[in-house]
Formats: sequence, C-alpha cells, structure tokens
Amino acid sequence: MTGTAQDIEEVLLPRDRIAARVAELGREISHDFAGRSPLLISVLKGAVYFLTDLSREIEIPLSLDFMAITSYGSARAQSGIVRLIKDLDIEITGRHVLLVEDIIDTGLTAGYLLRLLQARSPASLQICTLLDRPRRRILEALPIAYRGFEIPDRFVVGYGLDYQERYRHLPFIGVLKEVVFQDLPPHPESASGGSTSRA
Amino acid sequence: MSATDTVRFAHRSEAEFAKILDFYGIRWQYEPRSFPLEWDERGRVVESFNPDFFLPEYDLFIELTTLKQSLVTRKNRKVRRLRELYPGVNIKIFYGRDFRQLLLKYGLRSAAAAR
Repeated sequence: MTGTAQDIEEVLLPRDRIAARVAELGREISHDFAGRSPLLISVLKGAVYFLTDLSREIEIPLSLDFMAITSYGSARAQSGIVRLIKDLDIEITGRHVLLVEDIIDTGLTAGYLLRLLQARSPASLQICTLLDRPRRRILEALPIAYRGFEIPDRFVVGYGLDYQERYRHLPFIGVLKEVVFQDLPPHPESASGGSTSRA
Repeated sequence: MSATDTVRFAHRSEAEFAKILDFYGIRWQYEPRSFPLEWDERGRVVESFNPDFFLPEYDLFIELTTLKQSLVTRKNRKVRRLRELYPGVNIKIFYGRDFRQLLLKYGLRSAAAAR
C-alpha cells in the first residue's frame, strides 16, 4: 500500500473526462438556477474537489457552505447514531439548495442529510452527485437532479474519494487494487472518528 | 439499549446491517412478515419467504444475501417469485459482495471477513 496511483488497478474516469462532465453540469445548473442564486452545500471531505471544480463552472451568483458528519466506521460511532460535526454557517430557510455529493451509493447518508436539511425549510432541495452507484441503493426516493457518471460496483478512489483517508488527491477516479483494501491497517485518523466514509 | 441488542439475528451480517440503519436513524423491523410462495394440493404452505428487514418509513423489505453463490441463486428465485405473487410489495436484495464492500469502505475488515 503506497497511498499513490501505484495502488490503482484501473483508471475508471480520467482527469479530462471528469473535467468535461463537470463543465456540462455547471452549464446545466447555471441554466436551471438562473435568477435563483443557489446555495451549494457539500459534506466534508469527499465532495470538496468536485464542489470546487463545479462551482467554478457555474456562471450565476451562488453561495457555498459545508457540513461534516461522523462516519459509521469510526470507532466512536459504531454503537451510536450519526452526529453532525460541523453545521452550516449559512441559514438555508427559503434558499434554493443543491446538495453536492461525491457519490450516492446506498443512499443512507444522502437520506439522512436530506431529512436534516428539509427540516430547515429550504425553498427547494436537490442533489447533484458526481458518481452514482445504483446497484447498492437502499433508499431510492432521492431527488437526484444532476448526475455526473453512473459507475459499476467497483471500489473507487481519487478526486476526493478516499480509502482510510488516502487517495483523495489523485486527479482521476480509479479502481483500488483489492490487495490494498484487504491488507491496509486502519488509519489512525479514521479510528478516532475523523473519517467521513460515505454510504 | 437499542433494538439491535434485543433482537436475535440469524447472522452477524444482519446485526451489522441493523446497526447501520440505527446509525442513520432509519426505523426497521426484523423478519416481520412471512410470504407464502408455494402451496401443496391441499392448500398448505410448503414454501415461504421471510425477508430480513422491513423499513416502514420507506415501505421497503430488504433481503441480505451471503457470499455463497448457491444461496444467492436460491434467494434470487424466491424474490422473483415473491414479486410475481405480491406485485405491490417493494423488496430489494442487498448482495453479500456489495455489503462486504460497504463494510470494507467503513474500515470494518473483521466484519467484512465474517460474511
């Protein structure tokens, strides 16, 4: 395990393909939200790369904000319930909110976030996700308005997605070699509850 | 004490799945309903199917599978039959391989290895 591109079995989405799709999504959002100044909300840390690139492709006024929640896999969370580590700084009541996700997998995390945000009475609430892996979906009724790529059932990292807090910095999205996630010892930051692995 | 501490699960993976649902605040019931699938000539039920979980807020049954392909094939057949007989019932299969990947993503390698 090197924590670098050497641990990648296959590049699923190269950098230029991601950039082109992000630009398309930016144009769609600019068109759809014209005159509405959306608030883009992202959950730390996986969607940070996507959010920063996406926001620079949007040509209308917008605001950004961030949340952080505990991961199921973190040691302190295993016997408890999801906790909000960082709440929003911006009031969302009456705002047009776009929840920007790195990946929608089971939909459990997104479902939790939607319930949390909906309770604050935004004017609208939709999801923009870079990756969609519907095979593992448990919660189907998610308002996914923008979807970058549908991906197969592979263990992917890069462009914000991590495994044990590594590989986020890779400029592409790749499939992690199986030997890596079979052998890697738990990262100390993950064991202390810092990981934000998503479901 | 949570419901995961009081329910007797048939498999460790089911207990882990219940914990995940608890974590995200999703209400669940464990094997709350039995669906007859086959009857003999006298009308007696000879085969039935008890999906592992029911999520009442989503009106959704969930069946977990193991990694053994022979059992997966059998469960796939049961789910197909259930959908034929009870078209209004929403059921999803969560495959053992997918669940294992999810646990690995969470860093829970010992739980993933137990599947």
